Amino acid sequence: MVEVKAELVGNLWKIVVDVGQRVEEDDTLMILESMKMEIPITTPITGTVTEIRVKEGEVVQEGQTVAVVEP
Amino acid sequence: MADATPPPDLDSLNADLQQRRERALAMGGEQRIEQQHGKLKLTARERLALLFDPGTFKEFGLLAHQHSLTGGPTEPERTPADGVVTGEGTIDGRRVYCAAYDFTVMAGSMGMVGETKVARLRKRALLNRLPMVWLLDSAGARIQEAAGSTFAGSGALFYEQVQMSGVVPQVAAMLGPCAAGTAYIPGLADFVPMVKGTSSMALGGARLVKAATGEETTDHAMGGSQIHCYVSGVGDLEVEDDAACITAVRQFLSFLPSHNREQPPLRAGADPRDRRIDDIAKIVPTNPRAAYDMRKVIKRLVDDGDVLEIKPTFARNIITTLARFNGRSTGIVASQPMIKGGALDIDAADKAARFIWLCDAFNVPLLFLQDVPGFIVGTEVEKQGIIRHGAKMLYAVSEATVPKVTVVLRKAYGAGYYVMCGRGYEPDALLAWPGAEISVMGPEGAVDILFPKQIAAAEDPAAARAQYIAAVRATIDPYIAASWAMVDDIIDPADTRRVIIDALEGAVTKRQRRAWRKHGVPPV
Repeated sequence: MVEVKAELVGNLWKIVVDVGQRVEEDDTLMILESMKMEIPITTPITGTVTEIRVKEGEVVQEGQTVAVVEP
Repeated sequence: MADATPPPDLDSLNADLQQRRERALAMGGEQRIEQQHGKLKLTARERLALLFDPGTFKEFGLLAHQHSLTGGPTEPERTPADGVVTGEGTIDGRRVYCAAYDFTVMAGSMGMVGETKVARLRKRALLNRLPMVWLLDSAGARIQEAAGSTFAGSGALFYEQVQMSGVVPQVAAMLGPCAAGTAYIPGLADFVPMVKGTSSMALGGARLVKAATGEETTDHAMGGSQIHCYVSGVGDLEVEDDAACITAVRQFLSFLPSHNREQPPLRAGADPRDRRIDDIAKIVPTNPRAAYDMRKVIKRLVDDGDVLEIKPTFARNIITTLARFNGRSTGIVASQPMIKGGALDIDAADKAARFIWLCDAFNVPLLFLQDVPGFIVGTEVEKQGIIRHGAKMLYAVSEATVPKVTVVLRKAYGAGYYVMCGRGYEPDALLAWPGAEISVMGPEGAVDILFPKQIAAAEDPAAARAQYIAAVRATIDPYIAASWAMVDDIIDPADTRRVIIDALEGAVTKRQRRAWRKHGVPPV
């Protein structure tokens, strides 16, 4: 199990995967809006998304867990 | 009365010398060499053979060995060369000094005689103005010789490294452990490649940590490349094995002069100076909110796509790379929009400042590729001291007197534009792509600060805000900066390589002298 964390504070703009979906390493899970940029949050491993812990429009903090991926 | 035994003849004296040499060259013996190979490590002498041009290594101190300080037996056979091979050779035809610690001899521990040899090497490097390389694979100070208060006399090695800093290049290659205080050798060096899996460094080894604080850890868990090349930033490059590590050392030195009063070597190549980059528009999206990989842009700009990236796995939101433009060594500091949008934080500022200081010390010109939305703001980064780290980067870029060229690809916002060598930091050329956005902040931020009351009072606040944003956006236009001659030119992105080379070559005769001072007081 890997907790995917936000690298910097920002507004969670879009979630592009669903719970239960298979993802490949480096796939984008969601997109953060921060510092005038759309910053993708990617999965460090290949696996299945088992949890999404945030909602679109929410402000996430640096280091906050936004999703969980099971290998 | 004549002596009964005749004096030995020269042949037997030479045979004795030969035997002593061979014994020393055998290092810690077959069994220990086998153990070294078993850990996928080369021996000190195998490493030296890879480091230097064939047949150029000249050793001194081969016949040195450890002496007992406690009245116990002195065992020359156990400590050939006293655990460290010292000498000089050439790399690409240029002289370099090297100390290679020999793990097969008392775990490469640093004994008194061995350290006398290394001290001699440091002295020669400084006197002759030549680079110094450490191949580190050492358990640390030899406690049997060092325990107790004679410690009071030790420590000059680091003092000397500081005197060498910025005069001659210093490389500390991590090919095994480097325990305890000796970790300051890499700590003070200019380039620290680390072999994955086998190398480690920590101020206190695992056993000392256990004794001092009770924490249970291992040398590798605490100080392997997975820590220092990714988290702490002490390591400069993680490499797969000993051979790759030595290749990196040779490559690093190829970009630098032998000392600070020399220019870096020119390497003539076949890559045309006016080569156009026709696919650059495919790499860099014109939508300023979309990310891309700046490394792809760099690969296309430099000679033959050949780069040596420093700290590629640490603070990845900024790129620091050595490369060449028309044969000329150049240090590139570039935003990486793919990571954190290219916004700067404490580690990015730290990494860039140190790289700028390295290049400036050794006459390597600097190229800044800007696509920077600014410094990350907020409570988290303030706690981390973003102001002093940002100030450090400002300091380094202001101090640098080497040729400096800045290209604004897309964003150049706020203090990000300053630290990446904006106009005020005296670049020898400041160029912008047609889509460049140079501004103190983005239109949204500016509007929310400037017009909150007007927006709130409007009949349709959302529409009013959009209107204000459009009005501010219209003022963010590179042609306005060009019309005030604040940027030197707006260029076709496909011509960027040629324009950079023109600008770098236009500044080769640059000589800049600062007001005398003992030294500044840089923020750290």
